[in-house]
Amino acid sequence: MADIDEDTMELPGAVNGDIDLSDETQDFRFLNVLNFTGGTDVKIPKRGEKDFEPHKTSLQSSTLAASREAMHNALSTPRVHKPKAHQIAVYDPHSNMAHIEHTKGSYTASMGIHKAGKLWLLPEEALHLLERGDLDVRWTVHEDTHEVNDRTHESGGIPMSLQGAYAAFIGMERAEGRRLTLEMYTVYSALKRGGYTVMRSEDWSDTRPPIDTSCAPKNGTSFLLNTWLGRLFFGSSPVPSEGYAVGPLVRPGLYRSYKDIYRLLNIVSTHNPTAPPSFSLPSDIENPFRLTYNVWKPNSNFKKRAPPPPDFRICVIDARNTPVPTLSQLNDLIVTTPYDPPQKDKSLEQSMKHGHRNVVLAVVDQVNGAEREAEDVDVDEDDEPPLLSVYIARRYGELRCNFRVTGINLNRVTPINLGPIHK
Amino acid sequence: MADVTTPIPISVVQGRYLLFDTPTIAYLRREHNVCGVLIGTIPHVSQQNVFLGVPLELMPEEARVLVEKGVAYLVDDALAHREGIWGMSAEEQRVFKSILATQGRELSLAGKRQADKKREEHFKREREKKGKAKDKPASGDLLHLGVDEEPSSIASATESSQGAPTETDDDVSLFSGAPSTPVNAKPELDLLKKVDQWHITPMTSHPPLPMHAESSLPLPAVGSSYPLFSHLYKKGYFMTPGLRFGCKYCVYPGDPLRYHSHFLAVGKDWDEEFNLLDLVGGGRLGTAVKKGYLVGGREPQSETSTQPDDAVDVRTFCIEWAGM
Repeated sequence: MADIDEDTMELPGAVNGDIDLSDETQDFRFLNVLNFTGGTDVKIPKRGEKDFEPHKTSLQSSTLAASREAMHNALSTPRVHKPKAHQIAVYDPHSNMAHIEHTKGSYTASMGIHKAGKLWLLPEEALHLLERGDLDVRWTVHEDTHEVNDRTHESGGIPMSLQGAYAAFIGMERAEGRRLTLEMYTVYSALKRGGYTVMRSEDWSDTRPPIDTSCAPKNGTSFLLNTWLGRLFFGSSPVPSEGYAVGPLVRPGLYRSYKDIYRLLNIVSTHNPTAPPSFSLPSDIENPFRLTYNVWKPNSNFKKRAPPPPDFRICVIDARNTPVPTLSQLNDLIVTTPYDPPQKDKSLEQSMKHGHRNVVLAVVDQVNGAEREAEDVDVDEDDEPPLLSVYIARRYGELRCNFRVTGINLNRVTPINLGPIHK
Repeated sequence: MADVTTPIPISVVQGRYLLFDTPTIAYLRREHNVCGVLIGTIPHVSQQNVFLGVPLELMPEEARVLVEKGVAYLVDDALAHREGIWGMSAEEQRVFKSILATQGRELSLAGKRQADKKREEHFKREREKKGKAKDKPASGDLLHLGVDEEPSSIASATESSQGAPTETDDDVSLFSGAPSTPVNAKPELDLLKKVDQWHITPMTSHPPLPMHAESSLPLPAVGSSYPLFSHLYKKGYFMTPGLRFGCKYCVYPGDPLRYHSHFLAVGKDWDEEFNLLDLVGGGRLGTAVKKGYLVGGREPQSETSTQPDDAVDVRTFCIEWAGM
């Protein structure tokens, strides 16, 4: 039967055991097998055996019914708050946030802002906690206020349903600045479920984040000097632009060194990653390519007041409304991240993967998030040919990257299998 | 499973189509071949990304097909909540809260019963284990211990460090605890009042929100691949989003819980031009994963044709990489 082969067959290049379970519809009967009490060593089940097509046997239909039943049961798990762990948050319609007076639990280490004796949760934080069943969010109903004052604070307000929470935290967010979208929340909750620490990038509502010049390059003067010297020795006449249109780029003539020829071939000018960055487009509030979240790998010493430099910076993109970014859009996104060169002792491939500045694009299309990494990668030593920005496609299924595609030298596209990014 | 009253409300949040009611989700899957994609967190297994829970997001195509069939209608959820929740009278609030309180007590009671049962079983097992253990060497040890205990306190101290007397302590607590466990005999109502009320976060907002089966929202906007989608849907196929395979839809012959997909489908306009390399890429990928790469589109109707919209001819082509 074909189905048996299909279970074991993988795309070329994929290592066995590298199966991304979230890729496929899972058989919920395996959820019962999961043991989440056993600490860190969580066993994810192998994917279920499937059939090729319906053949109307009662075995098949009863297996399907069992799977559906298991799925239904898993989905209907109620969100209950036992008295000991019960904590109430109150929804604030003006800021679209929720505030808690008495907090219980360790999530406060990486969530919320303390203000006036209360913990204020951002919409995505409150929604995520509610979805996990850790928070009882209440609507404040105006007519109810007199009554609330009489009784204990605990009983005030109408409990917010899951449906109500999506309607409020995502649907009612006012459109000024950048609001929480379902795409952002999809990425946020997927990362939180994966164990990452996620915080909003600071510049959510500003018109435009500033350029990050934290790493003013040390060799700025020598860069200038290089250009000057270059101009003096070779650059008196710029490359004739008509050569670009009709060619050939290198006309027959006398060339004393390879450098002269390389320079003629240099259509896209070499990018110097240490050069002071600048925006190439005018400021635009509608520009979707901006940093959304800062992400840290799990770390018990995390302090939300003084967070360490993030491990990843993520820009969330809605695949249906946003086309592939242009080079200038990518540039404007990438200059808002700090200069972070690869370490010297890394291999060429590793340092190219790391880049000088980097940002992860999380592309969300109809709930299937595919995360790609755009990195500002360039090797400009020793007159190497110009290098295109490298694009890396990467998915966090279960904290694992699947593959990346690098475009080098305009015509070489290589799929490369990456190892796990985590653990 | 619980009955579902049609038409079903589909929540529209920021232009996305969401479902929150689990019976409805099961019903659509069973009766209408609509799967959607689960995007939420399951509360008791909230640290993994393999099994996801409510809400279920529908593709615009799925929402549209359901609305056109008259099975569902669209609700602007933010608006409904703004009007429904903040417009609640004090009496409505009281009633709603009392419903939740009753549910909370019932759940709490059920939880307590389960815990009691678990404890009971645990003790039973322990007792059996002890019984077996005492039959063989333990009885000798205890006897020996009993003799030793009287003459010298030092001996008993060393014995206790070996752990034998603690076993008897366990037994004492076990038997003193056992008679208090069968609480279940008391009348139900008293119990309901006695237990701590658990608080509940409900899945849906009905109640308190009323169901209005009319909608002012426009039909979901769908792209040029919709004719292909509805064509395959009418033939009884299940469709899921196909981003992972570089296509528009993965097409399944039955519920994706049970079956592998047969096709990677891409919908096109009849005269739409596309890159030949897409065919090569799609065909190769499809063949590599033992699926067919399916391209389809709606044939334009001739002007004289008076056929209704349903009967328009969608033609499909399946591409396989022969690799000769």
